[in-house]
Amino acid sequence: MESGAREGEEWIFLSSKEANLLSAEETRAAFEKHRPTHVIHLAAMVGGLFRNMRQNLDFWRNNVHINDNVLQAAHEFGVVKVVSCLSTCIFPDKTTYPIDETMIHNGPPHESNFGYAYAKRMIDVQNRAYFQQYGVQYTAVIPTNVFGPHDNFNIEDGHVLPGLIHKTYLAKKEGKPLQVWGSGRALRQFIYSLDLARLFLWVLREYDEVEPIILSVGEEDELSIKFAADAVVEALGFKGDVIYDTSKADGQFKKTASNAKLRKYLPDFKFTPFKQAIKETCDWFVANYDSARK
Amino acid sequence: MTFSLRSCSHSAHNASALTPDLCHHGNTRAVSQCMGNKMNGSVGPMRVLVTGGSGLVGRAIERVVKEESGEREEEEWIFLSSKDANLMSAEETRAVFERHRPTHVIHLAAMVGGLFRNMRQNLDFWRNNVFINDNVLQAAHDFDVVKVVSCLSTCIFPDKTTYPIDESMIHNGPPHETNFGYAYAKRMIDVQNRALFQQYGRRYTAVIPTNVFGPHDNYNIEDGHVLPGLIHKTYLAKKEGTPLQVWGSGRALRQFIYSLDLARLFLWVLREYDEVEPIILSVGEEDELSIKFAADAVVEALGFEGDVIYDTSKADGQFKKTASNAKLRKYLPDFKFTPFRAAIKETCDWFVANYDSARK
Repeated sequence: MESGAREGEEWIFLSSKEANLLSAEETRAAFEKHRPTHVIHLAAMVGGLFRNMRQNLDFWRNNVHINDNVLQAAHEFGVVKVVSCLSTCIFPDKTTYPIDETMIHNGPPHESNFGYAYAKRMIDVQNRAYFQQYGVQYTAVIPTNVFGPHDNFNIEDGHVLPGLIHKTYLAKKEGKPLQVWGSGRALRQFIYSLDLARLFLWVLREYDEVEPIILSVGEEDELSIKFAADAVVEALGFKGDVIYDTSKADGQFKKTASNAKLRKYLPDFKFTPFKQAIKETCDWFVANYDSARK
Repeated sequence: MTFSLRSCSHSAHNASALTPDLCHHGNTRAVSQCMGNKMNGSVGPMRVLVTGGSGLVGRAIERVVKEESGEREEEEWIFLSSKDANLMSAEETRAVFERHRPTHVIHLAAMVGGLFRNMRQNLDFWRNNVFINDNVLQAAHDFDVVKVVSCLSTCIFPDKTTYPIDESMIHNGPPHETNFGYAYAKRMIDVQNRALFQQYGRRYTAVIPTNVFGPHDNYNIEDGHVLPGLIHKTYLAKKEGTPLQVWGSGRALRQFIYSLDLARLFLWVLREYDEVEPIILSVGEEDELSIKFAADAVVEALGFEGDVIYDTSKADGQFKKTASNAKLRKYLPDFKFTPFRAAIKETCDWFVANYDSARK
């Protein structure tokens, strides 16, 4: 839509309806059918804090299977480049800040989602193994907290921003207070999905390293959950009480990531201002409430 | 190879609903109850499946079980090799579990190799071992196996670390670059064990031996590990009247554990060790040896009298990997390891006597 696709290019967007990537056979069938030269690998089993804490085995196994099926099929079908998607939640729990791309494996991840975290880390291990054994340059990006239209707005399973948007929407509709889980003090860097998408295209076309790259606003733009909640409240015009339920876990207190590598490559890239991105996302949610994933 | 099937005795257990017919390869849950799995860590009679049973460690366990009253009454031990099942296939793995219905598993099967093969094939070492391990652990879980003891290695520890290393440090940093594929695959056994415990309460665990040696090793000079490689090379050098070429400087330090000692400890872990966190099985730090010391012991054991040359153009691998056996000593303060030279002599004698059939 933004002249992202160039002449002669073909883009195929798969969903779980077309192939169950947990199955090696179905994955190969998709590669056989489309014969891609490049792959952006986003598929994963994902969930919020609370679901991860209960099902570490499922998050570990299912993601390892998906990732291996996609990477191995790509290798066997001669795909030139695969860009996979990691996450800052996979970094070591005990670490100095800001975290950067060299630190991914420097210690165990946070206990709450170690299954998911290790599965994502192993994408980087497998990329390096493909490079060592075959010279193929598969790589990965590491976004911080992504938000935007088409998110999973399920309050139980979703991530913090879409969860807040959905809860605020309901609180407004039902005339009740907004309950925010946790203290509101945890800090996060957020990246608007459309900004991430523009950067993904740059990585696919120009970024040549096997080592991953963090895609994020800078450290100076780190925000508290409370700040984010206030932005959502403002965007949706919610006027009731906001209550912080401190009996619920905060997850990691902070995960400050450095975007110095990105800035070295793209010093002039402009991120969409947070409040504006929140407004666009909330407007989308209100307009698409019935069909939104929740 | 399967040991003789024995009928299950019900006298010790409250098994009024069970009959001997149901016990054998019948309802898995009934078999588990009948086998008397007690909550305090010690176990009653077991049916133990050993994957990788024809390898260095598997053969040692088999010998201890058969010859040292390692096998208790009512127990059944099944030693699998790759001939029985390709564990890289989920279907074949499940078929084996379906057939044998084990209550316990000692999981030794893996794709292994020496320094030089690992350096060239990190992808294969990563993928194949992840498949094997996932197939075995998941089948064990699905078939309600009470306990799985897997086998890690000290070569999977972080490269940049303080010494001695201990069980809590496995994931504290990246492994050595030379074998990161193998190392991460082994580390993920511990991750999967913890995930099985977190989600289902399974107490699957793992041991971490240092460098194992003994009869039935892989003595291939290109692919094998340092001690069997030395033994084979010394044997050939003696036979052909040529010098013995040792790869590397000889200064790298290692703790070695004789396979029969490891086997005795494996049985203890299977029966008594209750933690999910792994346990290092090794001689103590004070018994760390240089490759040169080990080469000299092999030369002496085989009666080699020619020159010994150290080829320093070849990689040493990690300079040292000193592991602490404090946890083991806390549990078993009096365990006696076979003295190194005696173990080398036994291993060399075995190799000479079995040269034709030895894996090489």
